[in-house]
Amino acid sequence: MKHKAVFLLVVLISGVLASGCIGGETKETQASKKVQLTGDFAKDVIKIGKVLEENGISEVKFSAWGSGDPNSVMRVYGIVDAAYKINKIWKENGISVKITVTVKYDQSFNDQYKEFLSKQPLGQAGDFFVNSYAFLSTLAEEGYILDITDYAQAYQSVINDFYPTLLDASKYNGRLYGLPQDTEARPFYVRKDVAQCVGLDVSQLPEKVKNGEFTWSDVYYWAKQAKEKGCAEWGLIHRKGSAHPDLIQFIFAFNGKLYDENTGKLVLDVPAVYKWLYVEWKFARDGLLPEDIMSWDWAKQIHPTIVEGKTLFDIGGTWYWTEWQTKQYYKGRSLTPEEVKEWFAYTLFPAGEKGAKPVTLSQPFIWMINSKAGQLNPKYEELKDVYQALAFLMIIKASDPKINAIHSVISAHLPVRKAAAELIKDDQWLNNLKALNLDLAPEVKENIKDIVESTVNPINAQFLADVSYMLQYTHFAPSHPKYPALADIFKDAVDKVLRGEMTPEEGVNYIISKINADPELKDNIEIVGEIPKDWKFPRGD
Amino acid sequence: MKIRKDKLYTLSFFLSPMLIIVVLFYLIPLVLTVYISFTGMKNWNIERYMHDFVGFYNYQRLFHMFKYDPTFKAVVLTTIVFVGITLIINVFGGLGLALATFFMSERPGNIYRLLWLLPRMSPIAVYSLVWYYFFHGSEIGTLNSILLKLGLISEPIPFGQIIPWGAWSIIIFVNGLVGVSFGMIVFTSALNQIPKEIVIAARVDGASGWQISKRILFPMMKWHFLYVLTWQFLSLLTTYPHLFLLVEWDLVNRDYGTTLALYVFNTAFGRGEQEQGLAAAAAVILSILGIIGGVITLKVLEFEKMIKKPRGEIE
Repeated sequence: MKHKAVFLLVVLISGVLASGCIGGETKETQASKKVQLTGDFAKDVIKIGKVLEENGISEVKFSAWGSGDPNSVMRVYGIVDAAYKINKIWKENGISVKITVTVKYDQSFNDQYKEFLSKQPLGQAGDFFVNSYAFLSTLAEEGYILDITDYAQAYQSVINDFYPTLLDASKYNGRLYGLPQDTEARPFYVRKDVAQCVGLDVSQLPEKVKNGEFTWSDVYYWAKQAKEKGCAEWGLIHRKGSAHPDLIQFIFAFNGKLYDENTGKLVLDVPAVYKWLYVEWKFARDGLLPEDIMSWDWAKQIHPTIVEGKTLFDIGGTWYWTEWQTKQYYKGRSLTPEEVKEWFAYTLFPAGEKGAKPVTLSQPFIWMINSKAGQLNPKYEELKDVYQALAFLMIIKASDPKINAIHSVISAHLPVRKAAAELIKDDQWLNNLKALNLDLAPEVKENIKDIVESTVNPINAQFLADVSYMLQYTHFAPSHPKYPALADIFKDAVDKVLRGEMTPEEGVNYIISKINADPELKDNIEIVGEIPKDWKFPRGD
Repeated sequence: MKIRKDKLYTLSFFLSPMLIIVVLFYLIPLVLTVYISFTGMKNWNIERYMHDFVGFYNYQRLFHMFKYDPTFKAVVLTTIVFVGITLIINVFGGLGLALATFFMSERPGNIYRLLWLLPRMSPIAVYSLVWYYFFHGSEIGTLNSILLKLGLISEPIPFGQIIPWGAWSIIIFVNGLVGVSFGMIVFTSALNQIPKEIVIAARVDGASGWQISKRILFPMMKWHFLYVLTWQFLSLLTTYPHLFLLVEWDLVNRDYGTTLALYVFNTAFGRGEQEQGLAAAAAVILSILGIIGGVITLKVLEFEKMIKKPRGEIE
């Protein structure tokens, strides 16, 4: 009797399990696990929503990682807003699925990159990652970010609206690994009141710089005048650190190069690097540039010196324009847009010498998708393609011209899409942004309202329009895995030369020995040219 | 010496928790580190590079870098000076503090000890930031601003950029302040184990504080002294977090603020491409240096003599 009961129980349990399995299988084969994108955003979103719903998914969780200056928070809130728009479409169509996005916004893009690198293999990195294009090659090479080339084919009309050079920066080995999020130029700022004091006419300056008539010899001359006449404490202030590629503009301004496309190797252009170090050395020796600038404090020394008019020239970035309006760098307060406009003129980075061309440098940020996007959601293995397609649609939505234009205006970065560039010229749209009278996620409005309040202004929009031409003169730092190591060496050499520990010649030799000391660097860097023997600075021509 | 079976079981039972911990947290990581040092592991891509054997390539590369790097001499010198002087400060400073608080009454003694523990309890970034602003080489630096206000200097002094001793002084000071509390705790605990009666009797006989320390306390603390010395030596040889921040924030000169441990860390983890294979090779070399240094310390201080067999029956 007892045996019979046990036998019956086993049969019963097996029956229940078998029916469950069979039933489950039937259900799963019915639900689709893939979607084919059509290029019609609403249609694609609805299709994905239905697939998720059929598979019993009611909530999709994503996380967005971004970094940068405080005004650039749209790098993560763009994703939040994309989720809001998709949720809205789903709701309107009776699809009961919802996307929730958590954000992580850090100050240092370099540190966040390192964090992404170490956490991605563990499955703990953000699903969306916005960072410098400089890291894209390494991330793509390691398989840490999603190749979106096939998805992008369906959205060719959107893709075509991006500036082609920026799309190139989003590619690796001919495949697309992200969408441009922003870019910038690095204007050469001139303090108008100091210029007036020394008798430098700034009205014609941008044109003269553009034509290569105003070179670094002239910068030296006027900087010296400013110092000698007591118009300013310094002639020139520039940025610091190896992560910021501002100073390598000198290499391009002296007709040098940093990358050889034919060999895929980095280049140490000895004549150009020597001239760069010589300029730094000369400025510091003559007291026109602080010899310890590389260890100056950003908030307490660098920015206050510029906004308080203690220097004639400054090598900066477009984002300075709004950063000065939101941070208390000027005697304990921030500047008004009117003050920034009144006090600063801006040009391209002048040519190093006669015969060379003016330059600027861009470091586009790219919206990248983690190759494990959606991994923390239910049925990830089965629905991987669906989650990835959804993530792609989210960066398409986050690249909406309106979102891109908002980011540009409030952070003084340049638009990456032609449609966004048009939008920032529209006064009516700017007024709507000022009043936050736009269809944005409530969370986004809440988080950008203070920045919008202090930065949305026709003056700032005009500034962006005015500096857009600089992109025609732009260069990119090489997207090469070994470049950060070379940039570190450059930083050390500049520091030593500025402090007078090394002559420019010794500085160049120091760079060469550091490269030769690491076999991997040596293999990846071509050293070209020699230190020019009869080169003089300033030339006085 | 043969150990009886039941004795072996008893020993295994009591030793097993410690053995498991040693295997889990020391032996396995050590074996893994040695293994990784023979692979081309980079960018944390375990899946891709775990079986990418490169032989001694990482070691060869490291030696090549050490040999030809123009700033390596500064790194070696900094390591020797930093470990040497900070070790002296940590050990003798800790001893001094423990003795000073030992001769105090209990309440103020405890307060002083707590004060010296504060640097250890503060988060590294916060603690380093305090000293960053204190020693900053411009008028925004607290020390410079005080000296300027007192009229002792007319121009700010770039303390961390005065090479080599300016940079060395800052890194030694900042790390010494953290490390000294370790010795203090160990020595205080050792002092508390010494029967009070001996000290009281010496006092009654008219011995001074120095005589008590020299004749009674120091000899009884030799074991602890050896422990603190060895531990702190190994710890200083591999320490880098405070140094990393001070160098990263450009407070101290990069060459003379970088020890071997930080050099290894920066070479392997501080750049755009993170190379775990190279890091592991460097870590193995550092471990070997640590082991050699540790053994020398134990020999010099005659560790064997301190481990004496009990005079009574063992069985």
